Amino acid sequence: MDRRTFMQLAAAPALFAATGAPAYRVVSNHAPAANPGMPGPYRGVVIRVHSDAAINSETERVDSAIVRKMLSNGMRSLTGAKADRDAWAHFFSSSDIVGIKVNCSGAPDIMSTPEVVAGIVENLLNVGLKPDQIYIYERFLDQLTSVHYDRYVPAGVHILAVETPRGSIRGYDPNTYVEVDFFGEDDTRSNLVRLVTERFTKIINVPNMKDHGAAGVTGCLKNIAYGNFSNVARSHMREKTNTLSFIGTLACVEPLRSKTVLNIMDGLRGVWHGGPFVQNKHFLFYPKLMMFGTDPVAIDRLLLDVIEEKRKAEGALSVWDRSLANIKPNSRQDIHANQFIREPGHIEYAAKLGLGEYDKSRIHVESLEL
Amino acid sequence: MMFAAILLLPRLLSPGAEPKDAVPLAPPRVQYRFNEASATRSPWIDANGWRMIRAPSRTFLYHVTGDAVALAAAEAFTYGSDALIATDASGTDVFNRMLDFLRQIPAADLNPVADIGVLDDASDAAGELMNLLTRQNLLYKLENAPDPSLRVNVRLGSKEYPSEEAGNPSLLAHKIRSQVGDENRSLRIYGSEVVIARFAANGRQARVYLLNYANRPVRGLRVRVRGAYARGEPRVFGVASADLEDWSRDGSATEFTVSELGTYAVIDLFR
Repeated sequence: MDRRTFMQLAAAPALFAATGAPAYRVVSNHAPAANPGMPGPYRGVVIRVHSDAAINSETERVDSAIVRKMLSNGMRSLTGAKADRDAWAHFFSSSDIVGIKVNCSGAPDIMSTPEVVAGIVENLLNVGLKPDQIYIYERFLDQLTSVHYDRYVPAGVHILAVETPRGSIRGYDPNTYVEVDFFGEDDTRSNLVRLVTERFTKIINVPNMKDHGAAGVTGCLKNIAYGNFSNVARSHMREKTNTLSFIGTLACVEPLRSKTVLNIMDGLRGVWHGGPFVQNKHFLFYPKLMMFGTDPVAIDRLLLDVIEEKRKAEGALSVWDRSLANIKPNSRQDIHANQFIREPGHIEYAAKLGLGEYDKSRIHVESLEL
Repeated sequence: MMFAAILLLPRLLSPGAEPKDAVPLAPPRVQYRFNEASATRSPWIDANGWRMIRAPSRTFLYHVTGDAVALAAAEAFTYGSDALIATDASGTDVFNRMLDFLRQIPAADLNPVADIGVLDDASDAAGELMNLLTRQNLLYKLENAPDPSLRVNVRLGSKEYPSEEAGNPSLLAHKIRSQVGDENRSLRIYGSEVVIARFAANGRQARVYLLNYANRPVRGLRVRVRGAYARGEPRVFGVASADLEDWSRDGSATEFTVSELGTYAVIDLFR
């Protein structure tokens, strides 16, 4: 084995053989931390905080004070700390450089809510970080700038897109990548964001609650995986998608896995069909909740139920529907059709890679109502 | 075939001239066919390299205007072909700028590097296969008999490459690629689907030619070549002092990133 190549998926060949996953080659010179961030210290634990007043579904006005309370209650319940500062200090110290991985793929209709991100920044500052030790980041500039996070966070906080312009690979680490040939594409590498390998010491993952035409749903796992690597759209072609195995494989790559220490799912808004984008505002809904944890699999397992329940209520196909008869290209607005053979099994697959707990009987959910 | 010992520069065609024996070529470009079903997600590239490899002694003729003139001139230079370029006044200026750039490239005795041998029967099917190999940066050379030093030798109509397979050239090219093995390829490109490369080497140095067929620059192009090289000298059309980033050597290969690629670049590598 090459000195700089850690075959991190050494335990996975049997799994690959069983699922027919593509042959992945993971290249990284980063060794895992003694206690990787995912699934982290709270494996199988999810704190669910709901407030009917968090967002007005008519005006879309977000109540910042309620959001702060949701963050406070969620973090204190997760850690058992009595004070906010102590709760956040479980994960962060004043010497950390923290990346906040937002999701802006549905912006400006749905994105990591600026008030939520501002609340996270506020808590990091209270732990002792300086504004310039905090980075709000996303892959694509046009999506990120449409949100205007700068209006919500103190001056000095970095707000950065990785691909400027779109398609540029200079923001990615040439030495940390997953190599795989899905459909005969010639560019077979997906490289990890350079900030993750070279700058951040910790990452906070802030996904939304969304349906996803290829992955079934998109939450913690997909945001941290596809949101931190280049050249990932190649995993879908025609009705086939490789999200089943690719999402978990990417999320396992070091140092991404070790540095992602906290997942805060922003479910103030959600998308129940046509995701990850907002094809039609009719597909927006308002769960008005946030979920906290270190285990992305456990949170995403609950997300599956949220999206499935909403789709059922709206009369849409189940997220588990994989029938070829229901595949209709270019039918994103048809709730009785799928673009791809959906792969909600990516969450269970990630559990098998060791990223968290999928079995609901082993997930402890603490629900808080504000 | 050895090339680049004497640099063959493209020439402008005099207005009104009609060269009888020149082989007309399509303007080099990318066509993004978003609304058409295709075997791959990749954009369609109109590239002429395979025609030049097939007929190295012929003279070729481009009818191009604007920025396409630069790409046409660079394409002909890359394959060491004699080419005439017919253009308008705006194209003449572009041509002269590219010519100035090409004149800066030092002559060197270099041999084209190949992983694949193609026994060309002059058929359309063989031509289309060569076209696809070129577009996918699968390095090949033409031969009269199989070359045991190459990883793969392809003769359409043989037991291993039956004629019916040529009916699906994409699939056939992928089969050949699998037989070579990506890890064994002498050259790989990452970060763009619209850049075609050529690679030439001798025992002391190598040269990578990079043609960008799109009409916008590629920001960051990762290049991997087999062989251990200690340093590189980039010449990038339109960039005064080009630079190679993230140089690395890994086992038997060397990698680097060209920070910005407009139409054309030539990278010299030294051991």
